[in-house]
Amino acid sequence: MDPPAGPEDPRAATNGDNNHVPKKPKLSFITESQIREEFAHHQPGIARINNGSFGSCPASIIAAQKSWQLRFLRQPDDFFFNHLQRQITHSRSIIKDLINADHVDEVSIVDNATTAAAIVLQHVGWAFAEGRFQKGDAVVMLHCAFQAVKKSIEAYVTRAGGSVIVVHLPFPVNSDEEIIAEFRKGLARGRANGKKVRLAIIDHITSMPCVVIPARELVKICREEGVERVFVDAAHAIGSVHVDVKEIGADFYVSNLHKWFFCPPSVAFLYCRKSPLSHDLHHPVVSHEYGNGLAIESAWIGTRDYSSQLVIPEVFEFTNRFEGGLEGIRKKNHDKVVEMGQMLAKAWGTNLGSPPEMCPSMAMVGLPSRLGILSDDDALNLRSHLRDHFGIEVPIYYQMPRDGHIGATDGDGCVTGYARISHQVYNTLDDYVRLRDAITQLVHDGVTCKMLQRE
Amino acid sequence: MSLINGTTATAEDPDSKSKPITPWELRTEFSHHDPTIARINNGSFGCCPASIMAAQQRYQLLFLRQPDYFYFHTLKPSILRTRLLIQTLINADNVDEVSIVDNATTAAAIVLQHTTWSFFSSLFQAGDAVLILHYAYGAVKKSVQAYISRAGGHVIEVHLPFPVKSSSEIVSEFRKALQMGKANGRKIRLAVIDHITSMPSVIIPVKELVRMCRDEGVDRIFIDGAHAIGNVEIDVKDIGADFYTSNLHKWMFCPPAVAFLYCKMCDDLSDLHHPVVSHEYGNGLAIESSWTGTRDYSPQLVLPEVMEFLSRFDGGIEGIMRRNHETVVEMAQMLVEAWGTELGAPPEMCSSMAMVGMPVCLGVTSGSDALKLRKHLRECFKVEVPIYYRALVEGEIDPITGYARISHQVYNVVEDYYRLRDAVNKLVKDGFTCALLYK
Repeated sequence: MDPPAGPEDPRAATNGDNNHVPKKPKLSFITESQIREEFAHHQPGIARINNGSFGSCPASIIAAQKSWQLRFLRQPDDFFFNHLQRQITHSRSIIKDLINADHVDEVSIVDNATTAAAIVLQHVGWAFAEGRFQKGDAVVMLHCAFQAVKKSIEAYVTRAGGSVIVVHLPFPVNSDEEIIAEFRKGLARGRANGKKVRLAIIDHITSMPCVVIPARELVKICREEGVERVFVDAAHAIGSVHVDVKEIGADFYVSNLHKWFFCPPSVAFLYCRKSPLSHDLHHPVVSHEYGNGLAIESAWIGTRDYSSQLVIPEVFEFTNRFEGGLEGIRKKNHDKVVEMGQMLAKAWGTNLGSPPEMCPSMAMVGLPSRLGILSDDDALNLRSHLRDHFGIEVPIYYQMPRDGHIGATDGDGCVTGYARISHQVYNTLDDYVRLRDAITQLVHDGVTCKMLQRE
Repeated sequence: MSLINGTTATAEDPDSKSKPITPWELRTEFSHHDPTIARINNGSFGCCPASIMAAQQRYQLLFLRQPDYFYFHTLKPSILRTRLLIQTLINADNVDEVSIVDNATTAAAIVLQHTTWSFFSSLFQAGDAVLILHYAYGAVKKSVQAYISRAGGHVIEVHLPFPVKSSSEIVSEFRKALQMGKANGRKIRLAVIDHITSMPSVIIPVKELVRMCRDEGVDRIFIDGAHAIGNVEIDVKDIGADFYTSNLHKWMFCPPAVAFLYCKMCDDLSDLHHPVVSHEYGNGLAIESSWTGTRDYSPQLVLPEVMEFLSRFDGGIEGIMRRNHETVVEMAQMLVEAWGTELGAPPEMCSSMAMVGMPVCLGVTSGSDALKLRKHLRECFKVEVPIYYRALVEGEIDPITGYARISHQVYNVVEDYYRLRDAVNKLVKDGFTCALLYK
């Protein structure tokens, strides 16, 4: 039994009685004030320009989640035996359609992209330990891969005797072609001594610095270069860029649903293309369903709160309250974040780190060089300062100058810091105006990161 | 930083602190339970009082309100607070020995994956043994298959008697199995011992078994105490194992799901890691476990509120444990008298759960029968109780083959057990057998 339809539910409108149904083509879309209500639990007074890190969850989805939690607590045995698996399968089939996978068997639901990485990498670890891979066989990763994924490679690949090829991508970047060229060079270089490349891990949208990677092209290059398997870490992707797993053509593809798809923390899907290899993947938390395939295993890893996995149908309905549904939200977020990014860059005399077409719902905006961002610590201190003194939440990225490259400059020197601004449906112009003014203020007051160290 | 405005949190009202909980308040705390069900199965999924659910929701909203702030300032100190409370509860030497994980299943994966590495790094050799109880939890057996058998380890299952008359039966069977396991110079690298077995449920004399293992040179000992905390006393130093895990959502009123994994400090275990590897990899299991990617960590944060809840009961958690045990034994004896059967274990081997023999005429002849009977009791009699199938041993005549594992938790009332009594009596009177359930 699904939770009852809400008053705005489009299903309620179509009763087949044409005399009474209004002539407009659809029930009206969600209004600005309804959006504000849905996110009224966000801390007021904070310019929350960081949807990318932890995502967001509307009030109606929080309520739907609580409803599922209560159903379990009310009679857990009945829920476990009669409802849970069916509901998870329902969620999986919605995801399958969203991402254009062939079979629902290819779609597993896990906690987050970090867990998905552990699943794929543990599989690689077994292959080394059991002699299918030889010591020295390589795994390829991007230099800017998410830190947690790098650690996972250390824990499962390096430890098992594998080697790691690191491919540096340019930033700031001007086009897809730059990425493609660098990746091709980096991969060829890494393979120069005849190493067998067993797995390539490619981000669909890198985290820091944030850029949309031409994943399909890179997957093709991997295939051409004889890379056995490709894993696309698309933690940010769903709800943020178009996702078509068949088109991208990777063996494994993961995306978080709590970042840009309005799910509560936390839930992600791991797509594993059907192949003779996929039955060997197992969830590291082994429970009763071990051996029944990753999707079935992941649906029970011991007593847990699975409610975040069960609200996917409700979330899908939520996105349909917006004009254009998820695609409409995506497009609007992208247009807005580019507009805001350009507004900020202009105000500060800097540039975007990538052209608009390589920005998802996030953009890297160069910060004035006079702020003197010269280390990761500086970036973190500046971020804390903006939070504590200006009520602005935005992550700051430190771009170490590469040997031989000048990189971006503004009127005063090298741009080494970027703000990663996000735009989600709850953001308003005022959020970005506040950021603009805060940075302008800091520059005007002669504040540098060196001074912030003493805070 | 104050919590959400506008919520009247009675747990924080200084006047209500430690005020004894009234019967009405107790009913209200569990009013979200399905009122039509006689819920005699706290053992499987536990329970969570309304005031703890409210506390959990406050933490969830705190994160959603400003997640970056929560991540940078609130999460880690809150998890540390929980770990310190557990350290005291279980008498661990050092808070570094206490990690918080999702559940005992996850804890098992951590310990067993570590053992896999030992095999692959040649610290252990193929054919070295891991010892588990025959009654080990199904998920743990699968984990042993996934991490030990696959890595070349040899698995020894120790058969324990059931029904059982005393702890000494367990001790002598275990001793025999250890001896046999070590025959031909085989090394036993890890022993996985339940503190309270799940099905059938009995309290295992873990302290003695650990001592025996040490005497026989078993390298590492892991106690699966999934049911233990809030159910029996736990003193990890006294028990003396290397690893000990227990779920806090079963008998300790936490929301699903949260468990602790205690790991005695030791150089050999410095490379123990969480299988979901994140930023904190290499900083020790406790720190690693406090961040395994974006998650809802709220179940891990409400233990302080749980401690307050417990203090409202006469004798706190000890009082609750004692009363649960006494009442479940009383109810079990009432049932065996009504049905003309027997308990599966003596009272001193029952925790807050008891195995109650079911009338032989019900004809429980397989695990499938037991599951179907359970479903029948749920659907037709509104009784929730797991049934255990105990295979008959050669030579036995008309033995009891079905046992109901009844639980008692603070929300249970005597009518729950009368309903079970009457349901089974009716089935017997109507000439019911499990065979009928397959039609």
